[in-house]
Amino acid sequence: MALSTYTTPSGYRLPSIHSAPPFFTPQPNAATQATFTKHWTRLILFYARHRRLFYLRVEDAETTGGDWDEILRNSRINRRIHPPHLSFLLGELVSQHLAVYEPPKQTRTVLLYWRLPEEWAEVLHDWAASTGQMNTILTFYEIAEPPVPSPLSGIPPTLLRAAINILIKQSRAQIIAISDGEGVRFLAGNTSR
Amino acid sequence: MHRLGGVGLAAFDRQKLHERSFAELSTEISQAQVDLLHAQMAQFRSALAHYATTSRDSIRTDPQFRHAFQRMCSSIGVDPLAGPRKGGWWAEILNLGDWQYELGVQIVDVCVSTRERNGGLIEMSELVRLVSKLRGLEGGVITEDDVLRSIRTLKPLGAGYEVIEVGGGKKMVRSVPKELDADQAIVLDIAQEGGGRVSEELLVQRRGWTPERARAALENMLLRDGLCWLDEQDEVDGVAYWVPSAMHWDE
Repeated sequence: MALSTYTTPSGYRLPSIHSAPPFFTPQPNAATQATFTKHWTRLILFYARHRRLFYLRVEDAETTGGDWDEILRNSRINRRIHPPHLSFLLGELVSQHLAVYEPPKQTRTVLLYWRLPEEWAEVLHDWAASTGQMNTILTFYEIAEPPVPSPLSGIPPTLLRAAINILIKQSRAQIIAISDGEGVRFLAGNTSR
Repeated sequence: MHRLGGVGLAAFDRQKLHERSFAELSTEISQAQVDLLHAQMAQFRSALAHYATTSRDSIRTDPQFRHAFQRMCSSIGVDPLAGPRKGGWWAEILNLGDWQYELGVQIVDVCVSTRERNGGLIEMSELVRLVSKLRGLEGGVITEDDVLRSIRTLKPLGAGYEVIEVGGGKKMVRSVPKELDADQAIVLDIAQEGGGRVSEELLVQRRGWTPERARAALENMLLRDGLCWLDEQDEVDGVAYWVPSAMHWDE
């Protein structure tokens, strides 16, 4: 049996280690475990970015038919990651600041940072500038669900708020109270940071 | 009566004189022989050196030629690696010392960079493949033979590089200074046959080991040495162990 890369139906190229049966078992040897964890966290973040997935839940390892089946399972070798193993990996992602528990005070669901909030802030500002929406007031909804798909389509509210807060600190955005809640206005500001 | 050499005391003197001249002659002859041998050696050496220098490119690039040249050297009792100077005769005459060291560095490079995934144990053919890849096309072809020799040059470094025979003529190179016991060599052999997979049951069936012995060998390799990986979802035996260096990686 040769271990090779595999391209999933969604077009993601899985690394060859994903077809190694032991990859789906927690390793008792610390050095091996560290290597596997590195591969797993990288795989999770790259796949999330590929599919624009923001949340990963321990339940994703328990149910079939979810968004994460392509990496949490390998039906070709009949292996899957078990929930406690996934739970451990979520903890690793959080401790490496590559994800946060969302909502806070639980450990079953994480919000993945395949872009860090700082990077989202840049994407957000660039998008506002390139679509000619500087100095206009936009609602959070208009940013997360734009009529024309954008790099920000589907961004979770907490992540969007974190990005906006970063821009506010840099004087590149303002929160404005509007009739039905809050809006945000982007300013050219000091782009050199 | 006239006797050759005469009689009396004078005859003793003459006898001594003869002996001395014979001794002188003998020394002279031996000296001549030694001189001749020296001359022959020098001639041989320069001939070999000349041959080696003119064929240097072939020796560097053609593995078959290199192998034949080495065989010739060893059959006439010249060890290319041994020599009056550090680096040996290769280095002195062929500049092959650098070549050999360069290969050694590349072997270390491959062994270290793959250690993470194979626990410091790599199959010889895989090592040759990866070193060749690292050298690129201009580096010429290298063989198992070259790798073996380079590993020998690495010995003084004390880094524990060692070639292990695991049965079926297969060789593995170990780059971590760990003792590989006889049981582990058998585990590696079984793993080689199964594409990397080995289990307690397999060792019991194939080798007649007791389950305890099989478990001890596998657990040692897994926990202490990191030479294999654990799979708790094995369809046949429930728990299986995988030796990454025996798995076939397509990359």
